[in-house]
Amino acid sequence: MSSDPLDNDKSSLPRFARSAHASHCNRCLSGLPSTQVEADTSRLAVGFYCLGVMDMLGLLESKINETERERWRDWVWNQQSSGTYGTGFRPGPYMTGQDSLCWSDVTQPGDEYSEYDTPHLIMTYTALLSLAILRDDFKRLEKKGILKFLRSCQRSDGSFSSLPNGGDSDLRQVYCAFAISSILDDWSGIDVDSAVKYIQRCENYEGGYGQSPGGEALGGTTYCALASLHLAPVPSSSSSPSRTPLFSPHISTKHRSRTIRWLLQNQTPSGGFCGRTNKVADACYCFWSGASLHILGASGLVDNRALATFLSTCQFKFGGIAKAPEERPDPYHTYMAIAALAIYPPEDADESWTLPEMNALWNTTDETAQWIRDHIHNK
Amino acid sequence: MPRVTSNNSDDEAQLYCEKSEWQDITPIPQYDGINPIAPIFYTPEYKDATEYFRAIVKADEVSERVLQLTYDIISMNPAHYSAWQYRYRTLVALKHPLDVELELMDAFAIKFLKTYQVWHHRRLLLTALRSSAPSPLSIASKELAFIIRALSTDTKNYHTWSYRQWLLAFFDDEELWEGELPYVERLLETDVRNNSAWHHRYFVVWGRVRAEGEIDVGDVLKREIAYTKDQIALAPNNPSAWNYLRGILEHTKTPFNSLRTFVELYSTQTAPGEEDIVDLDNPKPGPGAQLPCAPALEFLADIHEEMGGEQTKKAIEIWKSLGNEYDTMRKKYWEFRVKEALSV
Ligand SMILES: [Zn+2]
Repeated sequence: MSSDPLDNDKSSLPRFARSAHASHCNRCLSGLPSTQVEADTSRLAVGFYCLGVMDMLGLLESKINETERERWRDWVWNQQSSGTYGTGFRPGPYMTGQDSLCWSDVTQPGDEYSEYDTPHLIMTYTALLSLAILRDDFKRLEKKGILKFLRSCQRSDGSFSSLPNGGDSDLRQVYCAFAISSILDDWSGIDVDSAVKYIQRCENYEGGYGQSPGGEALGGTTYCALASLHLAPVPSSSSSPSRTPLFSPHISTKHRSRTIRWLLQNQTPSGGFCGRTNKVADACYCFWSGASLHILGASGLVDNRALATFLSTCQFKFGGIAKAPEERPDPYHTYMAIAALAIYPPEDADESWTLPEMNALWNTTDETAQWIRDHIHNK
Repeated sequence: MPRVTSNNSDDEAQLYCEKSEWQDITPIPQYDGINPIAPIFYTPEYKDATEYFRAIVKADEVSERVLQLTYDIISMNPAHYSAWQYRYRTLVALKHPLDVELELMDAFAIKFLKTYQVWHHRRLLLTALRSSAPSPLSIASKELAFIIRALSTDTKNYHTWSYRQWLLAFFDDEELWEGELPYVERLLETDVRNNSAWHHRYFVVWGRVRAEGEIDVGDVLKREIAYTKDQIALAPNNPSAWNYLRGILEHTKTPFNSLRTFVELYSTQTAPGEEDIVDLDNPKPGPGAQLPCAPALEFLADIHEEMGGEQTKKAIEIWKSLGNEYDTMRKKYWEFRVKEALSV
């Protein structure tokens, strides 16, 4: 350690075990044990967290060779399918039979999916980000089909369901629909006004947003609400100042202050954030709440040092980051913890803590966000 | 756990490929692709059952045995939403009694409390039962009792609470609503810091859609303020109670200043002495209370800010004391409040 603990009242941070965290995610990319069978219907999300960790740590190219990255791109594209409800990505091949397709690298538009194997809204969002992390050229992107899929998922109250024929519908799906629209730079697939009204109905007396209208304020869905409201195109009639990432015409000053207050209240004495009032801190809420504050332009009010101290104790001794100290790590918490640290770099920490700039609205690195703009927008 | 089909004579441990009554089906193995991302090392049982499931879906089969198959799959992977979807569709097509299904899923729901699909399935069942059952209200009230059992294993489970709130709003019947406040009070007696219970209180008291003039808002507010003050007296540093108090004042557009006397009791260094007159409207902090408590100081500062003028100075003093002494984790926030007040 470089600093002398005697003349430093803040205890110094241990090293951030970058390489061990990358190895944890690399292991998960190559296979999950049978105890993780619940991931069968969300494998693209697991892939996104693992690839995201490698991207944040800048280890994707050194740890994984180009041939393998090429095959992973193909595998992700193989989850894109088209049919009655439009085009999107399924969570993985859990319904794909060996009999069903003569497999090619490109899934042809017109491949019909069954009612029990439709694309999935959240998975479509994670697939697009994963492809950008893998630096895909997006030549296989079915933009029109995806817009149709978004339309199929929106419901009459403005919300979106995960599946065009059912499934959960709450702020998480709204966020994915908004993120996909802005990634495609095309908002014609969704009714923004009714979705914004739905989001506003989710705000709760504490100042956070519940998962759905009437729900208890929760850090994760508060992020979904705030990021969506800031991604939404600003109506041309609005007298708002020039659009900045820190401004949304859909949030009043009074509501903004109340949300900031509630978010900050959730930074617990451990330094980590909890997701709801009076709960214990959890690594993932360090991102959800931290990114929410960043979006509201209030990141300067967070105690970075305490946050990093908490996350340093969530590091598992064999790599990966757990939701809390003494728990088992997983790719989701590893990714969220690193994303939180990228937004809130601790001062006076050694170089192992250095992370790239984040795009908090899309939840990816600035570099990957730029790749999306260069390869999808205006194409 | 009860089984759906009673005429199944095979050993439960048997794989589907070994069961005589499934010999007419050709299982469809999964194609995982070349170099797949995060492949799962499935157990032989899961691999076997899902191969038959793919075949059933492809053949579009609707039959009793589908209920067995989907039950086995969701027992191994409760997040397998396609199996849930296919199961529900089969129940409806077979005109299977849905109240029986609901009961079958009771133990399952408690075992897999954290899985969304478990609650979504019940939601579909209750939606169908409301329009088809002879006495839907009794089913709903039985369901509320079941949810209490589920919540007793995890009193803050988000899915379970959402489901309870959905059920109340969906059936919207006084008979169902009337048990809610006593239930919340029982929960808060056990754990006054249970924010889900506080939130449910808000949902029941303020979130329920009422006809114009159905209730006297003034009376309700008075009752709620009195209740919350009592809970704060028991545990002064409980943000759930303070947030509730703030929430109901804002909701009813009641000035924070109306609670000044109460809040001041919690903003001073020392607890008021025993000799003081007992004021039932303003319960004092208990003898062991840590004073002053930060949420009360924050509240008092907000009162000063609300009043404005000369009182702003007092607000600033309090924010400084919060940042330097009573709530140092949020030092930067309290400094920000000072800066904002000075810039007005
Ligand atoms: Zn978590």
